Amino acid sequence: MVLDHHHHQWTASPLVGNYADDSTLEREGFDSHDPILNSQGEAYHEDCLVCAQCFRQFPDGVYYEFEGRKYCEYDFQVLYAPCCNKCKEFIVGRVIKAMNTSWHPEHFQCELCGRVLSDIGFMRNQGRALCHPCNDRVKAEAAGKYICYRCKAIIDDKPLKYKNEPYHPYHFTCSNQDCGRELDSDAREIREELYCLRCHDKMGIPICGACRRPVEDRVVTALGKHWHVEHFVCAKCEKPFLGTKHYEKKGLAYCELHYHQLFGNIDFVSGEIIEDICVTALNKTWKPENFVCWSCETPMDERTKFLEMDMLPVCKRCYERFPGELRRRLTRHYEAAQRIRPLAPESTIAHVSSEEYERSMVVSACFPRMCFREESR
Amino acid sequence: MAAKVHKAIQDAQHQGRRDLDLVEKTITSFNEIPQVLSMTHITRLNLAHNKIRVVPPAIAELVNLESLNLYNNYIVELPTSLSGLQRLRVLKLGLNRLDELPRGFGAFPVLEILDLTYNNLSERKLSGNFFMMETLRALYLGDNDFEILPAEVGNLHNLQVLVLRDNDLTSLPKELGQLKSLRELHIEGNRLQVLPPEVGLLDIVGPRQIFRLEDNPWISPIYEQLQIGTNHLMDLLRSANYQSVYARHVQAGGAIPPAIHDKSRKSSRRKD
Repeated sequence: MVLDHHHHQWTASPLVGNYADDSTLEREGFDSHDPILNSQGEAYHEDCLVCAQCFRQFPDGVYYEFEGRKYCEYDFQVLYAPCCNKCKEFIVGRVIKAMNTSWHPEHFQCELCGRVLSDIGFMRNQGRALCHPCNDRVKAEAAGKYICYRCKAIIDDKPLKYKNEPYHPYHFTCSNQDCGRELDSDAREIREELYCLRCHDKMGIPICGACRRPVEDRVVTALGKHWHVEHFVCAKCEKPFLGTKHYEKKGLAYCELHYHQLFGNIDFVSGEIIEDICVTALNKTWKPENFVCWSCETPMDERTKFLEMDMLPVCKRCYERFPGELRRRLTRHYEAAQRIRPLAPESTIAHVSSEEYERSMVVSACFPRMCFREESR
Repeated sequence: MAAKVHKAIQDAQHQGRRDLDLVEKTITSFNEIPQVLSMTHITRLNLAHNKIRVVPPAIAELVNLESLNLYNNYIVELPTSLSGLQRLRVLKLGLNRLDELPRGFGAFPVLEILDLTYNNLSERKLSGNFFMMETLRALYLGDNDFEILPAEVGNLHNLQVLVLRDNDLTSLPKELGQLKSLRELHIEGNRLQVLPPEVGLLDIVGPRQIFRLEDNPWISPIYEQLQIGTNHLMDLLRSANYQSVYARHVQAGGAIPPAIHDKSRKSSRRKD
């Protein structure tokens, strides 16, 4: 990395011309009644001491000199004064030339921490001017490494996190008086004290099932594990339950919506969650009031005989009104399926109350009901 | 019969009911039940098992309708205004005589269940925006005349049920593999010989899933796996070996099996 650090002192500064007395007269000569201007030991006609750009006299007699020419303040700034890259104003006085542009000394700052760099030097990093500490940190982060919060050097091995800052583990020893050994990155923090893993394990602090770190505040105990409140989340949407109701299934926890969505307590017709009694039939779940003949929409219960078409329930009366050729085709497909899956179970209806779901114990108290197919002719 | 119809309508009106059942009332036209079209408060209208041929444009006046059942009628014509029903979630048009769908049919904003079973529809007779109904959860197209399932079916990402039983399908698009929510696929009774390998990505085999594919002229590798079980079939579809089998089959472009069943006697073809 190139050290690119120039200070450039701008030489122009305002000069003030004074009316002369009668002494130094030069070149063309002066009439005795002409007003004479005297500037830095040189005398001018009043009309000759003017801005080299606009040919007007200098307001208040203030002018700027550059390469032998004199300019009024306005033209000098327009022509020569540098612009600060930060505040976009003209710079008069000390100018910092760096990063291929100009800056007011107080505006040349580290892009990350904002420290003024004019007198402490800087490092160029990916087109940014950074102070040395920031540059070191960025470099370490890019290499996937941390900077030790204590000695500010790069941590080559695994860091030890303490109060959310990374450290070289060897800066610490185990807080257990009887142990006191130098720590490694496996050390654990308990109530702002660091312990080696061995001593920590002896203290019996619950470990969060999600992040594997000790739980010191509120502990949630569920699924046979301990959790940080904010780490006990729905397995589907990953939002924390924060004390609200959750549903357990196969070692995972779900929020109400996703439990029902995944495990079928969604009414097929309305798409709504089934809160109360749930009818399970034809690979779908139904609110009892929506479990009707697909065709005539007559309500059905567990005593109603129905037939299946495309995994929809059709009452016997409607099915008999279907075209004969359709019924024959359905029967043929059914028989073909039976040949392939001779053990395919008959469709059954099961009633399960929502209360049972809340305890996430799907009781298999089903009422097997027939779902018969028309006999082949 | 007409008196019974009017009594049913009047009862519904007096009781302020939000649903109206006029099943099997030998109604042949909405002209016989004009007052229904002014019952704008109803959410469910059931006209199954009648003899209605034409659905009038004024059906769109029933702005609160969530469920419309026209199962087993003689319907040959639907109005373009039908898809303007902003709240319609369930539409049953099974067992009718539809040869085509009206322009813009796919504009239903919240339609979730669409039953077009047993009509005379094919990929050429659908509206251009048919597969833009992204809210669809279940689509029943069994007993129609599809030879090709358009690739746009992949847009229907909420689809859980897709029934294509007893059509004339000769191939399926690989875009079927995009239907991540699908848990029921019925393709029995078609002219299919191969399945795109992408079908192997679908979650349609298991205790809570349905995958029916009987009565198709499958190539022997598929047929053999099918005899053991659909899970074996899915393993086959996911195998590298099958990818090349499928590619070769598509490339060879062999003879397409003839249509299996004679459809001329379908009641949807009747003109009376």
